[in-house]
Amino acid sequence: MEDEQSFSDICGGRLALQRRCYSPSCLEFCLSCPRITLRSLTAVTCTVWLAAYGLFTLCENSMILSAAIFITLLGLLGYLHFVKIDHETLLIIDSLGIQMTSSYASGKESTTFIEMGEVKDVVINEAIYMQKVIYYLCILLKDPVEPHGISQVVPLFQGGRRQDHLCIQQKVSLGDGGILASSGRQKVKDTFNFFNLMFSG
Amino acid sequence: MTCRGGAGHGQRPSASLSRVSPGRLSTCRACTHNICMVSDFFYPNMGGVEGHIYQLSQCLIERGHKVIIVTHAYGSRKGIRYLTNGLKVYYLPLKVMYNQSTATTLFHSLPLLRYIFVRERVTIIHSHSSFSAMAHDALFHAKTMGLQTVFTDHSLFGFADVSSVLTNKLLTVSLCDTNHIICVSYTSKENTVLRAALNPEIVSVIPNAVDPTDFTPDPFRRHDSVITIVVVSRLVYRKGTDLLSGIIPELCQKYPNLNFIIGGEGPKRVILEEVRERYQLHDRVRLLGALEHKDVRNVLVQGHIFLNTSLTEAFCMAIVEAASCGLQVVSTRVGGIPEVLPENLIILCEPSVKSLCEGLEKAVFQLKSGALPPPENIHNIVKTFYTWRNVAERTEKVYDQVAGEAVLPLDKRLDRLVSHCGPLTGCIFALLAVFSFLFLILLRWVTPDSIIDVAVDATGPKGAWTHQYPYRKKVDENNEVSKTR
Repeated sequence: MEDEQSFSDICGGRLALQRRCYSPSCLEFCLSCPRITLRSLTAVTCTVWLAAYGLFTLCENSMILSAAIFITLLGLLGYLHFVKIDHETLLIIDSLGIQMTSSYASGKESTTFIEMGEVKDVVINEAIYMQKVIYYLCILLKDPVEPHGISQVVPLFQGGRRQDHLCIQQKVSLGDGGILASSGRQKVKDTFNFFNLMFSG
Repeated sequence: MTCRGGAGHGQRPSASLSRVSPGRLSTCRACTHNICMVSDFFYPNMGGVEGHIYQLSQCLIERGHKVIIVTHAYGSRKGIRYLTNGLKVYYLPLKVMYNQSTATTLFHSLPLLRYIFVRERVTIIHSHSSFSAMAHDALFHAKTMGLQTVFTDHSLFGFADVSSVLTNKLLTVSLCDTNHIICVSYTSKENTVLRAALNPEIVSVIPNAVDPTDFTPDPFRRHDSVITIVVVSRLVYRKGTDLLSGIIPELCQKYPNLNFIIGGEGPKRVILEEVRERYQLHDRVRLLGALEHKDVRNVLVQGHIFLNTSLTEAFCMAIVEAASCGLQVVSTRVGGIPEVLPENLIILCEPSVKSLCEGLEKAVFQLKSGALPPPENIHNIVKTFYTWRNVAERTEKVYDQVAGEAVLPLDKRLDRLVSHCGPLTGCIFALLAVFSFLFLILLRWVTPDSIIDVAVDATGPKGAWTHQYPYRKKVDENNEVSKTR
């Protein structure tokens, strides 16, 4: 079973969410961000080079031009390798755990696995991010020492910290799920059910 | 007492109300508002303004409105927090400059404030306190965005010194195109109207309130063999400590069974200590030093008579608190004080030692002859005077009226600024208003309103905390806990 929905991120770009259901106890979500466009790439390169030419005409030092070339190349590499996320996958297996995979545009992949026993709760949080106020989805991990404490907050869909629209639209469908808004976040006891509800909207 | 006779000018049937057709007004009565309270001062900071904002918001939530509060970050307390009943508080990461007030450039807070106003679908901005830069910023931005604005002034100002002149000028600029202004007493209204050169018709008077459950009488705590006079105030010139130092020896000589309890701290404490030394009154005059707000009641209930010697006062909360504890109040007739309590509960005197002594003697005579009503009765009368529910009701009327008014478009706003604030200041601020409008257009182009998502309402008609969920009872229980706190 597979279905696809599209959402917009906080800057208005499009995001596509695929939901695959392998078995009743195994779910996978895949969030694809739009690919880098030739237009934006050209625009950024042109701006850097025009600025470099401007400086060059002022101080007539050819070092500036070569520096501009290096900056563009290294910047592009860094951006593709560390910043630009192509798609993110969230695999949930009931009673086993949650695996998060993010693939960067350069092909780099990073994977994190959280055991179901460590998960305390899944919540939608609200935060001030840059000059914006956004919703984001995160997992709260149990503190091994203190049973009621939280040791860590793991945000989901990091590249999709741009996907508040996604959360918010789902939240409407969460309304019937018996979710209590407590201290600014939605609480759900059963993690697997939460994801099921969350993305079935 | 006049201030208890309705919502001041909030109800006046004159010019600006007649612009709103009656039909529209009645629909407004029924509709609810999305209110955003803005002030630099909020919990965890403590004080009169903070308490006012919190209590007013809670009562407005109870009446079905959506209320959010915007303030600046206090230490690690930043981001978004929820208080009792789903009252949402934004602690914005803005730099604090002086005395818990943020720095103002009129521009840097626009992106965040605009984002919040849009995502919360705010319709009315209510700013508090003229000392708060953020409140003025929010007023400025709200007018640029075409939202209705209300401002509450909590303090009295002078006219003579340089700092007052500057603040008054800024207040003129800030309030000249604000829809409605609220003051806490008629004296404060007069002061604000003069300072900001306002049309008095857009200024309403809504007094402060006290929580009567905090100030209950306890006649067993006082000794009826002696008469105790309580004074609770800061010991500074404005509060008339010099008068107090004249009253103490005179009355102590006249009445051998009269004691004084004085709570509060300040530079004039030395004078009182001198008086105590000179007349050997160590066992009859107790100086308690600084008091916390929660201890005030315990001091008040030990006395029979409350003495207030203030030389200037916008709205004296102390005498309401004392009367609520069942004490006979003797006070000077200054500022807004004569408005506060009815004549049978207060003895008003001129601010001189002679007049205050006569007033106190009258109170002592009444006490000895048993003419004073018992504390419980006084408490029952006073507790109906100043309740937060009443304040909220009257503030709601202001909102209803404001919601029907038009916000000035940019050209009229510029005209107003230039014509009301003098040629130089007016032009400077008109220019800033244009810049802020251009900045807003830029922001709207970068992030259009349509892609800012709407926040989930915690309060108001569609509030997630107030309806829908069966957890309401639990939440209510929590409220009880936090109220008794």
